[in-house]
Amino acid sequence: MSESRRNFLRAFGAMTVGAAVAAPAAAAPAAAALPSSAAPAAAGTTAPSPRWAMVVDVGKCIGCQSCTMSCIYENAVPEDSFRTIVSTYEVQEGGRTAMVMLPRLCNHCADAPCIPVCPVGATYQQADGIVVVDADRCVGCAYCVQACPYDARFINHHTGKADKCTFCAHRVEAGLMPACVETCVGGARIFGDLADPDSTVSKLVAKGDSKVLKPELGTRPHVFYLGLDDRLTGKVEGEPTLWRPRATESHA
Amino acid sequence: MTILEVVNVSRDVAWLPWAVQYFFLVGLSVACFFMSLRGLLRGAARERGFARDALIGALACGLVAPVALLADLHQPGRFWHFYAYPNLGSWMAWGAFFIPAYVGGLLVYAWAVLRGDLAAAGQGDGVLARLQRLVALGGAPAPRLARLAAGWTVVFGLLILLYTGMEVMVVRARPLWDTPILPLQFAATAVTGAAGLVLIVARLRGDATPAADAAAARWMAGGLLATVLLGLVWLGLGLTGVAETHARALASVAGHRAWQLTAAWAALATVLPLALLWGRPAGWGWIVGLLGLHAAWMFRWTVFIGGQTVPKTGAGLYVYQLPLGHDGLLGIAGSLGLWVFVFVLLTTLLPPSPPAPVRPALVPAE
Repeated sequence: MSESRRNFLRAFGAMTVGAAVAAPAAAAPAAAALPSSAAPAAAGTTAPSPRWAMVVDVGKCIGCQSCTMSCIYENAVPEDSFRTIVSTYEVQEGGRTAMVMLPRLCNHCADAPCIPVCPVGATYQQADGIVVVDADRCVGCAYCVQACPYDARFINHHTGKADKCTFCAHRVEAGLMPACVETCVGGARIFGDLADPDSTVSKLVAKGDSKVLKPELGTRPHVFYLGLDDRLTGKVEGEPTLWRPRATESHA
Repeated sequence: MTILEVVNVSRDVAWLPWAVQYFFLVGLSVACFFMSLRGLLRGAARERGFARDALIGALACGLVAPVALLADLHQPGRFWHFYAYPNLGSWMAWGAFFIPAYVGGLLVYAWAVLRGDLAAAGQGDGVLARLQRLVALGGAPAPRLARLAAGWTVVFGLLILLYTGMEVMVVRARPLWDTPILPLQFAATAVTGAAGLVLIVARLRGDATPAADAAAARWMAGGLLATVLLGLVWLGLGLTGVAETHARALASVAGHRAWQLTAAWAALATVLPLALLWGRPAGWGWIVGLLGLHAAWMFRWTVFIGGQTVPKTGAGLYVYQLPLGHDGLLGIAGSLGLWVFVFVLLTTLLPPSPPAPVRPALVPAE
């Protein structure tokens, strides 16, 4: 199943219709809203586990930060922290100036450096590829924060635990899209099952022109970028932003 | 092509000044412990004063260090998770076992080599004397236990040095940390700081002697020279590009004026005490002692706090302002205050040694 927003809306329509029928029959239409590889599991049959991934088409991103905001509201991300953000750059080259957007989030790496360093095994990878933190076990040592090469983790000041993007696992389990995908104005974020060769993300990645961030580290990220300049895949060598909220206040 | 970063995330420092305090104190403790071995186990009377002061430094730092580490956890009440759910693929998980093993061994070793001194100090009728006799448990020499405890503590002291270095070194995400020389740099600066601490402890206790000062000076000169050598190797590997990790580390900071200033400061903090050790002007013990402590602390501050101000993806440097609360200045002052409390406790129990010629060795010279 394709997990683009359009296809998702079609599935959502099926679910809405299903909701109108009698309660005993409600399970079937609800399953129709699940991503295809999750639906059989919900029905109790065995099926290969999905491998969730995201493709970001930077050419479609308009830098509106809807994803940033929806993520904050969906996941109760505290002030001054972000699970996802659209890094925005003004690039000048050959007399031309352009704005370049680079949505950043946890890359849900296949070889995630944050997992082996966790001293209590609180960070782990689900069978579906999503890297999560067991908040009941996390000691807040921040070793995973240090080990993530993408600055995708932080210590949540409210909970005192490691925090990060989960691909909105709670929504995905319910057959919904991650909040950032659902609210993306330009349709730049495409979410789906990389294990399903018919999914949109599989087809886009299969074209071979997608890129990942910091490929030299061998972390095998599962967030793929379309149309990304090589000079932005690593640590961006540019003039720093002027917006530094921490420069003027302390969280003490 | 020029790139102006208009919007990006600025991440907070996640390893707080508490971590600096922990790595500082535990490094000093292990180095002080090693300095105490010769004088307390071999029984050379003229080395005993230096060794006792070193052991007091090792105890004070070793008892305070785990508190600082605990405070650096954002969930300190869950420290037991380290033992209930250990992930043995993580260096930090191993550290949770090494720390109590080291501190426990250090306490047993200290008791075994100092119980005679405790008994000798507890000859009066006061409460303190009774406490000293109680702790001494008779005060008979325990050379076998001392050697066993020393051997145990040597092993776990080395493991502490290994794990604290490796824990930071394996973080590939931070090029400044990801260099194989870092564990050696931690160890060399720990020796420098520990020698400085022994000089200060001797002066605070009023039992500084030329022999003890000379021993501390030798340790510090060794630590400083090792630090200089390792620094030159680090720089050489980075400049020539022979080692990719060092080249990445150097490139991550070399272009920033703040880091250039830090490098100059570090060079001065190493060369100045070396020069003072060479000339030994009046009052050199206090100055060199404090400079040695400064070198060890500053190295860790630069590595941990400075290292976390280098963005992994963004441009420039993150801005760090030392908070005044428990996760900043108050934490640093608090751990220092706890150290002073433990030091007063230890030195109350263990008053300064009598003059060296009448000081018997607990363990006969071999």
